[in-house]
Amino acid sequence: MVSREVTLHFDTSAVKVASRFDSIRKWLLIGVALLFLGLFILVPLLAVFSEALKKGVQLYFAALIEPNAWAAIKLTLVTAAVAVPINTIFGVIAAWAIAKFNFEGKNFMLTLIDIPFAVSPVIAGLVFVLLFGSQGMLGPFLAEHNIKIIFAVPGIVLATIFVTFPFVVRELIPIMQDQGTDEEQAAITLGANGWQTFFRVTLPNIKWGLLYGVILCNARAMGEFGAVSVVSGHIRGLTNTIPLHVEILYNEYNFTAAFAVASLLALLALATLVIKSMVEWKTQKH
Amino acid sequence: MGISICDVSKAFSSFPAVKNVELEIPTGDFVALLGPSGSGKTTLLRMIAGLESLDSGKILFNGLDYTNKTVKERKVGFVFQHYALFRHMTIFENVAFGLKVRPRRNRPSKREIKEKVHELLRLVQLEHLVDRYPSQLSGGQRQRIALARALAVEPEVLLLDEPFGALDAKVRQELRHWLREIHQKLNITTVFVTHDQEEALEMADTIVVMNKGMVEQIGSPEEVYHHPANAFVYSFLGRVNEITGKALSETTLRVTDLEKGTVGYIRPHEIVLKKTSEGLGMLVEVVHIHSVGSTVRMQLKRRDTDDLYEAELTIETYKELGAVSKGDLLHAEFNNIVVFENEPGTSHSLQEQTKFTAAFN
Repeated sequence: MVSREVTLHFDTSAVKVASRFDSIRKWLLIGVALLFLGLFILVPLLAVFSEALKKGVQLYFAALIEPNAWAAIKLTLVTAAVAVPINTIFGVIAAWAIAKFNFEGKNFMLTLIDIPFAVSPVIAGLVFVLLFGSQGMLGPFLAEHNIKIIFAVPGIVLATIFVTFPFVVRELIPIMQDQGTDEEQAAITLGANGWQTFFRVTLPNIKWGLLYGVILCNARAMGEFGAVSVVSGHIRGLTNTIPLHVEILYNEYNFTAAFAVASLLALLALATLVIKSMVEWKTQKH
Repeated sequence: MGISICDVSKAFSSFPAVKNVELEIPTGDFVALLGPSGSGKTTLLRMIAGLESLDSGKILFNGLDYTNKTVKERKVGFVFQHYALFRHMTIFENVAFGLKVRPRRNRPSKREIKEKVHELLRLVQLEHLVDRYPSQLSGGQRQRIALARALAVEPEVLLLDEPFGALDAKVRQELRHWLREIHQKLNITTVFVTHDQEEALEMADTIVVMNKGMVEQIGSPEEVYHHPANAFVYSFLGRVNEITGKALSETTLRVTDLEKGTVGYIRPHEIVLKKTSEGLGMLVEVVHIHSVGSTVRMQLKRRDTDDLYEAELTIETYKELGAVSKGDLLHAEFNNIVVFENEPGTSHSLQEQTKFTAAFN
């Protein structure tokens, strides 16, 4: 009995020493991570707002309601309003096909879905120029029918759809795979048709994951620079999105206006993060 | 509703899951599809439900060809192995689902749905859980809700896939009795899949023993247990000792025409143990003794051939035998050795079963 107590005592003190080391290590790691985040993410973010508001609130708002800036904001909203729903619908379809059915070429399809992430956005933009540009494969046909895609809004929307496609699918596949097909089969045996099964069983089960994917997709759609830059042609008031407009203003040494417009994107990012963590919190609760 | 399964086959890519199955299920019957995993029993059940297509053959419901009918048209109740309750719906909504998705013209009113759901929840004795979510229920409760949900659409056939497979032993025992009662009350044709022979023997009116996609035997629990069609059925329906070669010909001295490689079988509880020889029996050494509740199991080693056997005694016969410990020598009598003329797997047709009584002199 005595020896047992002694070892027990010895053990607890050893645990204490170990836990003190652990806590030092823990705070050291947290500190380094915080310092890094502060230096590389928080400071630049603050810089954006401080630069934007440096010459006063009036100039800040003036930069935002200036016609060209306003046109860029509208174009960005239109682009997202088209690209996000399309990617949501096709994302759900693709995720459903991949997660719930077995078919040949499934892995090939998965690889295809990942291409927009793997390829540089500039190349994505170039692909569209090569396809639809005046020297491109479909150029003569489009010119004949007076359809403008490159250096116009359709090109910007196409490039944005391409770049943001994987967000919704990638978010949904693991959730749908995890849930399997049992509930859908149960719904069918209970007499539900395909639509009823989708809207009453499948969709409610994936809604938080879907929302998460949509938010990320939207953030990227509004913030995309590379691919859009290649296809847009940078026509002020016509084919400039917010990121492109920021670049133009910056290149013209109009820093206050550049940062003011940029602050919109930063705000969008912050809003995205808030909604994202709310959704995450909701998902965990379910 | 009576179900006829006529020469049904199904293969997954190149793996044959179900091969030429013939089965007749009369209205109101309680049928167990019994077999080891991979024997095709679940595939057969899913084909009856319409969840799986057939490669060949026909499925008739009340004599009408239902082979190409959709799941919806078949009006079957299906209970899934892992319950498959809708996790985002309350228990009420789960049970009401089948009624709420009906087309408007034959959908019951809200009040009727509410009454029906409560009636079903009373039947499964879980009315108090009406507002809970599936995640708040125990496994046994979920299974009962799954059954209530399947019964809500008033199916004429109830199909259950390993209904109690994921539950612990005690709950399983309770639910078996309870499901039998429900079957008696509602008298719906019921087919369930199980790999547990005890479950099948205890619950079913008819047992269909399956192996490698084929039906080995169809019969009442009585028939399949006491008159197994072949060695597979015999060994699947309980513990068994195999006696081969020399050992067999010695124990069955009267049989002279035993072919080489024939296997004899005897159930552990059919081995009779005595302390003193009465002319019959062979000398065995006790290797291990362990008691499981009301029975005692013994590992025995035959003295002259080193063959190992398992014997099972009730606690009473064990006491009658007197104190036995590891290493003791006993006389074992093999009274009911069963020999099948064909080995398992060579044929699935019913075979004449030959019984021998060992005689030792």
